[in-house]
Amino acid sequence: MPSRIYLGELEELILLIVALLNRDAYGVSIAEELKKQASREISISAIHAVLHRLEEKGFVRSKMGGASAERGGRRKRLFSITSYGRQSLEELRDTRNLIWDLIVKSAS
Amino acid sequence: MSPEELTPRWLDSLIENLAPAELAEEIQGDLFEMFVKDLEVRGVRSARRRYVVNGLGFLFKRFFWKRLSTIPSPVMIRSYFKMASRSLLAHKGTALLNVLGLVVGIAAALVILAVVRFETSFDAFHSNADRIYRVVRVSGEDMSEFRTGVSFPVPIAMKAEIASLENITSMEYFGGAFIEVPDRSGKSVNRFQEETGCVIVEPSFFSIFDFRNAGLKWVSGNPHTALKEPFSVVLTRSMAKKYFGDAEALGQTLRIARKFDFKVTGVMEDLPANTDFPFKVMISYASYASLGGTGRFEDWNSVDDSHCTYVVLPAGMKPAEMEKQIARVHAAHTSEQLHKFRHYLLQPFREQHFDARFGNFNGRTISHETIWALAIIAVFLILTASINYVNLATAQSTLRAREIGLRKVMGGNRRNLVIQFMMETFLIVLAAAFLGLLLSELLLINLQELLNLRISVFHMLDPYTLYRVAAIVFVITVLAGSYPALIVSGFNPVNALKSKFTSVRSGGVSLRKVLVVVQFTITQILVVGTFIVVSQMHFFQDQDMGFNRDAIITMRLPDRSPELLKGLEDQLRAQSFVSQVSLSYTLPSGENRNRSYRDIGKPDANSMKDYVVYEYAPIDDAYLDLYQIRLAAGRNLTMQDSFRYILINETLVKNLALGTPEEAVGKELKMDKELVTVAGVVKDFYSNSLKEGVDNVVMYIHPRNYSVISIKLNTREANGSLPEVVRRVEKIWSSTFPEYIFSYEFFDENVKSFYAQEQKYAQLFQLFSFTFLAIGCLGLYGLIAFIVNRKGKEVAIRKVMGATISNILVLFSREYVQLIAVSFVLAAPIAYYAVDSWLNQFANHIGLHWWMFILPGAAVLVIALLVVTSKSVTAAVTNPVEKLKHE
Repeated sequence: MPSRIYLGELEELILLIVALLNRDAYGVSIAEELKKQASREISISAIHAVLHRLEEKGFVRSKMGGASAERGGRRKRLFSITSYGRQSLEELRDTRNLIWDLIVKSAS
Repeated sequence: MSPEELTPRWLDSLIENLAPAELAEEIQGDLFEMFVKDLEVRGVRSARRRYVVNGLGFLFKRFFWKRLSTIPSPVMIRSYFKMASRSLLAHKGTALLNVLGLVVGIAAALVILAVVRFETSFDAFHSNADRIYRVVRVSGEDMSEFRTGVSFPVPIAMKAEIASLENITSMEYFGGAFIEVPDRSGKSVNRFQEETGCVIVEPSFFSIFDFRNAGLKWVSGNPHTALKEPFSVVLTRSMAKKYFGDAEALGQTLRIARKFDFKVTGVMEDLPANTDFPFKVMISYASYASLGGTGRFEDWNSVDDSHCTYVVLPAGMKPAEMEKQIARVHAAHTSEQLHKFRHYLLQPFREQHFDARFGNFNGRTISHETIWALAIIAVFLILTASINYVNLATAQSTLRAREIGLRKVMGGNRRNLVIQFMMETFLIVLAAAFLGLLLSELLLINLQELLNLRISVFHMLDPYTLYRVAAIVFVITVLAGSYPALIVSGFNPVNALKSKFTSVRSGGVSLRKVLVVVQFTITQILVVGTFIVVSQMHFFQDQDMGFNRDAIITMRLPDRSPELLKGLEDQLRAQSFVSQVSLSYTLPSGENRNRSYRDIGKPDANSMKDYVVYEYAPIDDAYLDLYQIRLAAGRNLTMQDSFRYILINETLVKNLALGTPEEAVGKELKMDKELVTVAGVVKDFYSNSLKEGVDNVVMYIHPRNYSVISIKLNTREANGSLPEVVRRVEKIWSSTFPEYIFSYEFFDENVKSFYAQEQKYAQLFQLFSFTFLAIGCLGLYGLIAFIVNRKGKEVAIRKVMGATISNILVLFSREYVQLIAVSFVLAAPIAYYAVDSWLNQFANHIGLHWWMFILPGAAVLVIALLVVTSKSVTAAVTNPVEKLKHE
């Protein structure tokens, strides 16, 4: 592992959702998906804050999307996961799996 | 209605203004999208509420602010700082004037804040301070007599008969005492005369007044049991040191009033300065039974104002409820005549520091109004210092027009300019605040006496003060900085570069006039007020009070046996520097003297209302002569008159309706059921201060009751050698009373101390009006210096065209004379109202005349004119060639 990955619980969750939504991830859609998949109600401002942090750390990138009427003619910022983000998620999952295996072994 | 019109506009514009454009768009987009969905599911109200909650949520997120391009980077801040300090250095004179005005204003405001803080902190540190009440006595048909004394049986009955009382404690403050430290064999080795701080208290005192938040600690002994036993005494640490040095005080013996031995059962730290319990020697209440006899405990009638009772009410109980209970108990034990006439009420305990009607053991109160007045003055000080800044900065801004224009052309936007100007203001204010803090510390140390302040209570650099300083810096920066910043940054760059502003009067001028008027109105109010307060003080000092007060020294007599006193009197009379000696029970006037009151009536008087209260004054035959109290009719008393013949004053003649003084002489009166004859009538004299009216006075010969000796010095003999005179008096006194400590007082000082508080106010007033005048003049000086500078050419041309120097001076001062005249017109009625109500609280006061307003007003005008001319005269006398050749 080149360096340790600093990813909070909510950060990881939102990063996963961004990966899941694939090119259609923005504030509101992420909030809705979070509620649907994880039954978590997170305030929209907190989601924005996390997205900015993820972008700063290089896990996601963003670009401005097209304007739509349902947003009162305003554009949305669309997020997509970077390869570094995907790689980090996989590393985290692998580490966890490894430990879970050990837990199962020691329990039996 | 479309969803766009339903969203709260204010929130949209808030986000739009605060967030950078791209961030605002996505945030608003998301908020709007959610709003539209909420609208369908939850309805308008709920959707709007969620919109607001969600939107406001962004304001608390760091990223919302982090990306703001307007938050300056460290580089920018350094640049602003550099620009600001450069521009300050470029205009040193103005900067100095600004700083000076602000320093004075801030320092004075800080001093006032320290005083306000000290005065409002009194006795706030007891755990249940808000539930403690003092039992006070309000009596008279019209409930017009306010006193504190409570008859001894009242608290005892309250304790026994009022179940809901949480706690109660009584105490008797007797102030001074003669205290001896005996050695093991019982012989007194050290003697002390304590003038203040001695009190008799119940053990419950320390459970009610725990001084918890003042951190009072006991050095030795147990606060709960120390005062349980008779003849116990608790000392403060400094008293214990005074009596026993470094030896352990606990268990030692003190002899009080020559007769009673007390055991030291506790030593505590000195009580804090901000308490109205200035106790140093505390004696157990249980000692009473042996001290004064138990008779007082059954006497519901007599009261002594130094015997006070404090109660703690249960949480949530209204004082009025408890007052009803006390009235019930009082009524059950006393005659209707007494309990209809005398009422025991409750005063919130902490009010004892603010309510002059009842007073406190410290002998000093400060009214809430005074504290408010001080706070208002502090605000005005800050205001007037800020006004200076605004005036100077706007006046100066025209000078800087070119700089502003260039900045704008080079791409500086308005926001940058505002920040730069605010930064300049901030730097000046910060520097001023720092110097102000130092100055205030200096002032506080030197003004402690004047301000009744014990600075030891607070430290200058404690968080409270620093918060205040920070708040003051912030307020002044915003108050003084924003207007000039907005004016200056609003300049049109093209006009500014063309220097068009130099000849155009910008909008700042009229505001400047208004500000100068405001400033000088405040100043004039204070100056006029000071003039009248000081006049009243002179009136107090100089007014004939009906007796002579010069070159009289007085001494208390510890022993009243007539033989001893006769010897003392004869020895003193034999001295060449003594012109008269008199023995009496009390002095004719003065703050520090015995007071005792009794009833007198006509011979046919039988019910309470037929009597009037008089002050009881045993004197000798030399008394009238020594104090030069004049007889209106009849004769002086002789030593043979004894108790049968009395002297009364004119007020008593009037109150008993005895006719003229001549008619009163020879009439019989009834005192204590005995008939006495009026031998003479003395002219009225003020036994109280001039703040009050004249009391009824009865004087008679009563040799067993003399407690003070007055000595009139022969001024020709005594002059210049006062210390020697005092030494010789001391020698005679000490040979008469070898076991006591000599102390004396000048009678005129004693009378003067009636007005100690007013004298302090007068001094404070003088200080304040001087401060305001100084700040105002600094501002004026700055303004006029600037204008003289700007108008140099104009003046030169006028001179070339034939204007004289006085023409030029009039040109410069005309406007200021007008402004100050306007402010005088505004100030006079306000000052009249304030001064009139202040004067009316005194029974004797000066009349208000128009010249008392005009004179100080004119003085302010003259001072202001001096400031204006001092600067403009330089312009007026300059050779016009100097100014004109520069083209």
